[in-house]
Amino acid sequence: MIRRIYLTSMLNDAVIDYCSLSRFQLHHGKARCSKSTSVFFSVMEERSSIVKTPLNNVLAQRRSKSYRRSMRSCVEATNLGYTSGHLTVLRIPRSRRTPKSRDITKQVDPDQVALLVRKEWELSYVTPLYQFRHTQLKSYSKHLSAFIVSEKQQGLAIEVGQELGFKVNFSVVLGLAETDEDAETVFIQILSRQAFAAKDDAQKVVWSGWLTCVNGDLEFLRSLPSEFVSLPLLCTRGPESLTVLVKSWFEKTFDCCFGPLGINSANLQWLAALWIGCHPTINIQYLKLVWTLPTLPPMDVKYTIHPQDAWELWDSVRQDDTTDVSIEEVTRFIKGLQSHFFRHFRIELSAGSLKQVSTALGSSHHSGKIKIASPTYITTILQLLTECALLKMPI
Amino acid sequence: MGGSTKLLLQRLIRRIPYQMLQTMLGKWAHLSNADLHSLNFTQPKWVLTEHLLALCEEKGLTVKHITELEMIYIIENPNQGMWHGFQLLDAEEDAPSIELTQFKEQFKANLTELISHVSIKIKKHTDEAIWIRVAWGDNFTKPNHLKPTYVVHHLQTPYVFVTGMTSKDKPLLNQALVLATRYGSMKDAHLSGRNLIAIRDLLTRQYQQVGLGPVPYGPYKNPNIENEQPENTENRLQMACEAFGDGTLPQLQKAVYKLETKFRDNSNKTLTGRKEPFRGVVEFSSTNLLESLRHCVSSGMASTPVTPLLSSITQKGRNYFVITDKGV
Repeated sequence: MIRRIYLTSMLNDAVIDYCSLSRFQLHHGKARCSKSTSVFFSVMEERSSIVKTPLNNVLAQRRSKSYRRSMRSCVEATNLGYTSGHLTVLRIPRSRRTPKSRDITKQVDPDQVALLVRKEWELSYVTPLYQFRHTQLKSYSKHLSAFIVSEKQQGLAIEVGQELGFKVNFSVVLGLAETDEDAETVFIQILSRQAFAAKDDAQKVVWSGWLTCVNGDLEFLRSLPSEFVSLPLLCTRGPESLTVLVKSWFEKTFDCCFGPLGINSANLQWLAALWIGCHPTINIQYLKLVWTLPTLPPMDVKYTIHPQDAWELWDSVRQDDTTDVSIEEVTRFIKGLQSHFFRHFRIELSAGSLKQVSTALGSSHHSGKIKIASPTYITTILQLLTECALLKMPI
Repeated sequence: MGGSTKLLLQRLIRRIPYQMLQTMLGKWAHLSNADLHSLNFTQPKWVLTEHLLALCEEKGLTVKHITELEMIYIIENPNQGMWHGFQLLDAEEDAPSIELTQFKEQFKANLTELISHVSIKIKKHTDEAIWIRVAWGDNFTKPNHLKPTYVVHHLQTPYVFVTGMTSKDKPLLNQALVLATRYGSMKDAHLSGRNLIAIRDLLTRQYQQVGLGPVPYGPYKNPNIENEQPENTENRLQMACEAFGDGTLPQLQKAVYKLETKFRDNSNKTLTGRKEPFRGVVEFSSTNLLESLRHCVSSGMASTPVTPLLSSITQKGRNYFVITDKGV
């Protein structure tokens, strides 16, 4: 399986040093790419592989005084794709578009929306999938169910209650993708039939999950070679044993990597700001923030604020600009709440960490759990989570 | 043995952990030594339950006997469910001299007068506490023994602790207790928790408060590490112990503050002038809340002097507060 290494840092000596170990030929201090090879390389990974570039490689013609300079120009001018790893610092947005309330059911089938909302999902990130085809979903369904059945029969996963068989359903949720570069969302369901069930008995959904990409970073998505499909956000719900099996099947079939995705306190604050900003249109009923303080034993502080009062505080920190929300406004909002709290209890909440934010519209937890109760702002939330997943990917 | 009696016994046996079962049954007066020897405590629990059921059926034991066993178990293991503290007010002249028999008679008479179908069991424990078990029915149904209320009261003290009470039963229980103890009324002490002894100690303020002198509590001091600003650390430690106590603290799980104060923040001019209160509810929770708060103060996460809002938990013996601009 061909693996790819991605360039993560441009003007970095470490890259240049690494290059010297790669397949470049060094002639008297000059570096030159050989005609038939081109390399994507990464500082972190030891993996190396070669992919053939087109024959009219521009690089072969470069000659410069020092190999360092030629390396730099090689990297800059080339049409080698690079991931935005070096742009990471720039990519964390300092302001976001104010979300507009939208009836998502106009774009997405309401039944499919119902599958996604009002359930708690556990988040993971996924690296790009190699040769994943949206047209092959039926065959994937068959393969995955065969895989699960065989793994279960091996006794690797011990479950109480014999299930006769698993049936897997891959389906596409059309309409969630925002840009042309976003791949369509894929929804996976695992159904099982209990022993002694009648033939006509409905099968029970024992596990569900979905892979999605909503408004993913355009530069990154465009830089991916065509065989790769990026669906960086995975949401799962169900027994851990099945999640592990699904992930290992994906890893084997599409040569990808999974990892846990948490929601850090900055993003929890963004979600709080998003939900409180919705209050004029939808009644959020309450705004609940939970901090954990590192005392012995650890102490949780749950602050539930009346929605109207919270909204007035939010409104007072907002500048007049209604199209964008800046991170300063979000920070000022949270700081306002913390200082009101301090005035009463003289406890610094910033000594602890924000662990959970919830309203009637949804809830999110630091450990990577999200629940979207209302479909109205689902695209904004998924966009934020897609961004988190892309940032966390080890590329 | 009727179906409901069997169910009650089954549920009770299931509830009692296997290790405790033998001792509990030993304390129960209705099984002789021979009976106890006939039971095999090495069998799986469900097998033992079957034998026990058969044995009780043989002896013709009734609900009354089974509730005795339940009471024995609960008295030994009271930390199940939420206990709420209440305070009796307006003592009448003869309140301090109430005797046990008098109390028992009065309570039973009062409660049965208020509600016809009710099952009451009163027992005096070794530490002078009176335990009352009440199973509630109403005019048409027999008492429900699966959801009893337990009441603990020390005679000659104005404190009552209750668990398992619904809002429907509350006024009836209040009235019966008030009349039996010869007080004027009973009010909610706004103190609740899972640990009965902790609740009792907090409400009666019987646990060790710090006196003057060296403070034994403190994080372990490594002799090779010297603290900068040791006076500040000592000071914080002293304040923490003054506010919350020294040594082992009663185990409290939660403290709830309902805030109805105005918003005041110097950096936010817009909202500071607002007349309406900034409403919210703050809930502190931990496995041992008072320990966490004490550590919070001694480590500097909370600024000294300790705010009266937090020290009220121990000073006033309550853990539910409504805070307005006028004070607590």
